[in-house]
Amino acid sequence: MQYAILRKERFNDFIARLSEIQKLVAPVSKGYNNFAFEEVTTGDEIALKYIPTILPAKKFFLPRRETLLEFNDAKGANAEASVEYEPVTLFGLHTCDLSGIQCLNMVFSERPKDYNYITRKNKIILIGLECNEYCDEYASCHLVNASFPSGGYDLFFTDLGDYYVVHVNTPAGDEIIDKTESFEKAEVYQMNELKNLRDHKRKIFINEVPIDRSRIPELFDLSFSARVWKELEERCLACGNCTNVCPTCYCFDIIDEIGLNMKQGVRYRVWDSCQLEPFAKVAGGINFRKERSARQRHRYYRKFSYPVERFSRFFCTGCGRCTRTCMAGISLKETLNELIKESEDRVWRRWL
Amino acid sequence: MKKPRVAFFDFACCEGCQLQVANMGEAVLDIIGLIDVVEWREVMSEKWNGKLDVAIVEGSITDPHAVERIKQIRKRSKIVVALGSCATIGGVNGMKNNYVLDEIRQYVYGNSYQFFPTEATKAVHQVVKVDYFVNGCPVYIPELVAVLKAVLHGIPYDVPDYPVCVECKLNENVCMYDRKVACLGPVTRAGCNSWCINNGNICYGCRGMVSNPNEKGAQDVIAKYNISMDLIVNKMNMYNKCREIG
Repeated sequence: MQYAILRKERFNDFIARLSEIQKLVAPVSKGYNNFAFEEVTTGDEIALKYIPTILPAKKFFLPRRETLLEFNDAKGANAEASVEYEPVTLFGLHTCDLSGIQCLNMVFSERPKDYNYITRKNKIILIGLECNEYCDEYASCHLVNASFPSGGYDLFFTDLGDYYVVHVNTPAGDEIIDKTESFEKAEVYQMNELKNLRDHKRKIFINEVPIDRSRIPELFDLSFSARVWKELEERCLACGNCTNVCPTCYCFDIIDEIGLNMKQGVRYRVWDSCQLEPFAKVAGGINFRKERSARQRHRYYRKFSYPVERFSRFFCTGCGRCTRTCMAGISLKETLNELIKESEDRVWRRWL
Repeated sequence: MKKPRVAFFDFACCEGCQLQVANMGEAVLDIIGLIDVVEWREVMSEKWNGKLDVAIVEGSITDPHAVERIKQIRKRSKIVVALGSCATIGGVNGMKNNYVLDEIRQYVYGNSYQFFPTEATKAVHQVVKVDYFVNGCPVYIPELVAVLKAVLHGIPYDVPDYPVCVECKLNENVCMYDRKVACLGPVTRAGCNSWCINNGNICYGCRGMVSNPNEKGAQDVIAKYNISMDLIVNKMNMYNKCREIG
């Protein structure tokens, strides 16, 4: 069964059953138009209409603090690697967040593989939820090709009024359909309605920034010394919010911590951010990205340039979190617009 | 290995940070097992005038007598740890520095004010060298434990040099600015796990400022949210007045 139907009156029943299988996480409202992925057991708790959560779903794939090693030097050196994981179902991920997880999967599957990440990832079931329209003006998902579903999920829900049409993408998704006993077979007219929605979406989701996707890497090739980076120097507070909320930022620090008995200890990793003052500080107190402009530029290149060379894909999912969270109002779309404007000037000058 | 000899001292403060140590729970027993506490006025009556491995100092330096006393403590201690906002950044005692010294002295001590010499409030490191800083009002127990472990190991402890926003965001708190409330998180050093904001309060800046704050950017943000500069300066000066001494 590739497509199934869930009638809305059965939604709460479905969620209750789903939460009985294993821990279930979904977007919930935190007030003030803020949302977060948190554990739920009933359908009522879920915010079905939500803008991207404060932190993306990466917090389940790459926990903000994770023990890697436990050591004990009571009788000689003795260390044991540890992997922390918990089976969990994530419900309601938008296509931007699914895309972010695909990016992380690529990074952590590269050799040497990150077994902590991979073990955890294999225990997570992903259920997507389609955006029938833009969440808000900060999103730029179409620019980076993340406005339509393109895999990376077990089930994918699309709201079509009285019912959801659900794409069953994996055996794990099939199992959920069987176990929850809430679904019906999709009829032809329902599939047509799905097609109509997608046709309609193609009209409303348009490139948020006036540039052809394929030209973005070239734009960045031209922009290393662009004026806009200098402008960001004056505005950025270096609070690291933009990277912490980014679904594809994965930089981490590794720290050894010894217990109070001074013998046992753990090695753990925590999220780090290239925007923070100490990130690029090395022995001798030298900081090779001391200017906030250099750090901001680095962030943009890590989204639109470097990963294109390495993974053939943008590491921006267009979710808009970095713009929404920035106190200084640094906007991803505005920055790209500035770069385009400036590169046009440069192209003109070359002709003159 | 001989246990390190440790003493607690207090200067101008509420002694609340020492109380935090006493209130640490089970961890305090582990720590007491590792060290030899020879003086700690708040919890014991013994005194010690000899050499010390570690002096843990709470409070800010506010008069000539205190200057002399902290210099003596420094002289006989291998390691000096500044405990809490008063010791690390001057803290609320710094508010005295908003006034002309003689006037404020008269206000506090009345007619006999000349018998009470006073000085501008200083953090401990503004008078003697400090080896470890435990920020906060009061100190945050998990950080205090981390610092004590670093002291006992003889390794440095680096106070995070990034704003509280980092920890606050990881805790998925709704930003205070989204709630239309001014908060000092964006310029205050992290390390407290955004303790206050997790509990519904704003950040008061008790841990001191990040080393390289973007003042121009912060002004723009304040203007964007329509907050008066006076309000922010007042909030900052509640804990951070002594930073002007340098």
